[in-house]
Amino acid sequence: MESVFGLVGADFALVVADSSAVHSILVHKSNEDKIMVLDSHKLLGASGESGDRAQFTEYIQKNVALYQFRNGIPLTTAAAANFTRGELATALRKNPYSVNILMAGYDKGTGPSLYYIDYIASLHKVEKGAFGYGSYFSLAMMDRHYRKDMTVEEAVELVDKCIIEIRSRLVVAPPNFVIKIVDKDGAREYAWRESIKDTSVPTA
Amino acid sequence: MKIDFSGLESTAPLCGANSEMFDGISTSPSFQIPDTTDFDDFQKEAIQMVKPAKGTTTLAFIFKEGVMVAADSRASMGGYISSQSVKKIIEINPYMLGTMAGGAADCQFWHRNLGIKCRLHELANKRRISVTGASKLLANILYSYRGMGLSVGTMIAGWDEKGPGLYYVDSEGGRLKGTKFSVGSGSPYAYGILDSGYRYDMTVEEAAELARRSIYHATFRDGASGGVASVYYVGPTGWKKLSGDDVGELHYMYNPVEPTVVEQEMSEA
Amino acid sequence: MSIFEYNGSALVAMVGKNCFAIASDRRLGVQLQTVATDFQRIFKIHDKLFVGLSGLATDAQTLYQRLVFRHKLYQLREERDMKPETFASLVSAILYEKRFGPYFCQPVIAGLGDEDKPFICTMDSIGAKELAKDFVVAGTASESLYGACESMFKPDMEPEELFETISQALLSSVDRDCLSGWGGHVYVVTPTEVTERILKGRMD
Repeated sequence: MESVFGLVGADFALVVADSSAVHSILVHKSNEDKIMVLDSHKLLGASGESGDRAQFTEYIQKNVALYQFRNGIPLTTAAAANFTRGELATALRKNPYSVNILMAGYDKGTGPSLYYIDYIASLHKVEKGAFGYGSYFSLAMMDRHYRKDMTVEEAVELVDKCIIEIRSRLVVAPPNFVIKIVDKDGAREYAWRESIKDTSVPTA
Repeated sequence: MKIDFSGLESTAPLCGANSEMFDGISTSPSFQIPDTTDFDDFQKEAIQMVKPAKGTTTLAFIFKEGVMVAADSRASMGGYISSQSVKKIIEINPYMLGTMAGGAADCQFWHRNLGIKCRLHELANKRRISVTGASKLLANILYSYRGMGLSVGTMIAGWDEKGPGLYYVDSEGGRLKGTKFSVGSGSPYAYGILDSGYRYDMTVEEAAELARRSIYHATFRDGASGGVASVYYVGPTGWKKLSGDDVGELHYMYNPVEPTVVEQEMSEA
Repeated sequence: MSIFEYNGSALVAMVGKNCFAIASDRRLGVQLQTVATDFQRIFKIHDKLFVGLSGLATDAQTLYQRLVFRHKLYQLREERDMKPETFASLVSAILYEKRFGPYFCQPVIAGLGDEDKPFICTMDSIGAKELAKDFVVAGTASESLYGACESMFKPDMEPEELFETISQALLSSVDRDCLSGWGGHVYVVTPTEVTERILKGRMD
């Protein structure tokens, strides 16, 4: 089942997500990227119903971009997280989106940050957060091995520990994961952890 | 109304004749069947009434020197904490321990019952029962009650002629031999720590610390686990309680609070 | 499980001699899983008025944002701060607006009114006010809190003793609740100053 988790290191934040697109007993594909690069310095890791996830994250991305066009300044991570919460909370009592979000970002001045936003729109700034069944394993693992001053290498080592634990202990463990990082140089894909190779769509 | 099950006696420990006189220790305990036409419905209601104390973290693992067993000590009913000092590690005999997850009464009763059976085996055969044998006794009893609402998730850990032994037994009749188990609502958290820190060739001290730390992390994240983290060790000479630390204090031992920098006070000139 | 118990909370306010104290736990959970231990449930409206919001975290956040908004409008129009009684009526009105789809929150309001007379009150999720002279409680640990407050409260305590009493009541109560605790947050408010303290507590 879906697993999304993330943490804040010394001068970066990182988000990990599984990459399985599942419907009932069927796995449609195992290289679905669930972490959106929101803008140059923000990541949006999302889990939940696939339709809601795609629609909502794109909606947030486009509106954050619109803000930037209109005002000429980008939203801070805190502002984007609060905006996302607001949209989710408004939708909650109309037709709720069932998406859980981890938003990671890097701002000049404040540095890296990670926000936990669940599908009922509770917002909280965290050092380490997780959603889904994987959270039971990754949270305790991160509590045990996490330090505030971790380097990228140390953090990825911890992430790998979490992935191994999820793969070995979770019945419905997803085979593949994607790791993305955001730091002062921007948001980017860091690595994939694949145990099953899915054929990638050829690019034009 | 009583149903006579005596024909099934060898497999099912339910018998119609429930007289104190013939209820010797050698026979299986018998329980009265409720006087009702809709047993299933009655069962559902009854389970609600004696809602088992859920929410636990217990673990046990085999390593070079023996078996390490650890548990928290919280009992909860819904959100309410009914006790912070439950003994979840049950001492079956000097060489064998059982852990408790699920219904407290079910666990306590059947472990005591298992203790009796083990002692009887010892007297009859002039040697101690193996962990394999003991766990199978328990599994068979629980299996004969399957579907009747018993709630037991236990690990039987001990030392016998073959060395350390560890089995997981539950009320669905499952019985697994293994080297590393964790049971209860906090078990996924405990597994996280346990799996990443486990080595077969640990010393007793290292193993005890790993067990204690696994319980601590589970109590931190799981609302239904907490209280005291007790750690037992079973070696060739039997079991020994190594530690029982209040998790409330353990947290601040593992995460020392950095003293906040007090602003320099103005010294009087 | 009730929606009021989804995140877990404990909230209490007490009256002292020309002062009051309001305290909460610090846990943000999702059912039995603890997500964070630095969550805020007590908010300052102005120097002599505080509101605590127990219950569903998302609604506590939404409600707080709406209350601050309305209070700021009031300040602009009236050029003064709201009296606690007035604010309580505002909260009540905002809650009743959602009579048929309520905010799943039970607020606690505490403030100093005219001539610095302490005022505390609580209400249910649809705005039925309940005024008290001594103490009010709310949240998943409310039953335990009633017991603790009932036996520990004395009238006309000085700020120091009030702090001690409310802290002990809070900490001992959350120790009997799975869904709240993980530290405490206490505000003691006198006519001249506000003291804020973070309590260490059991982290299980």
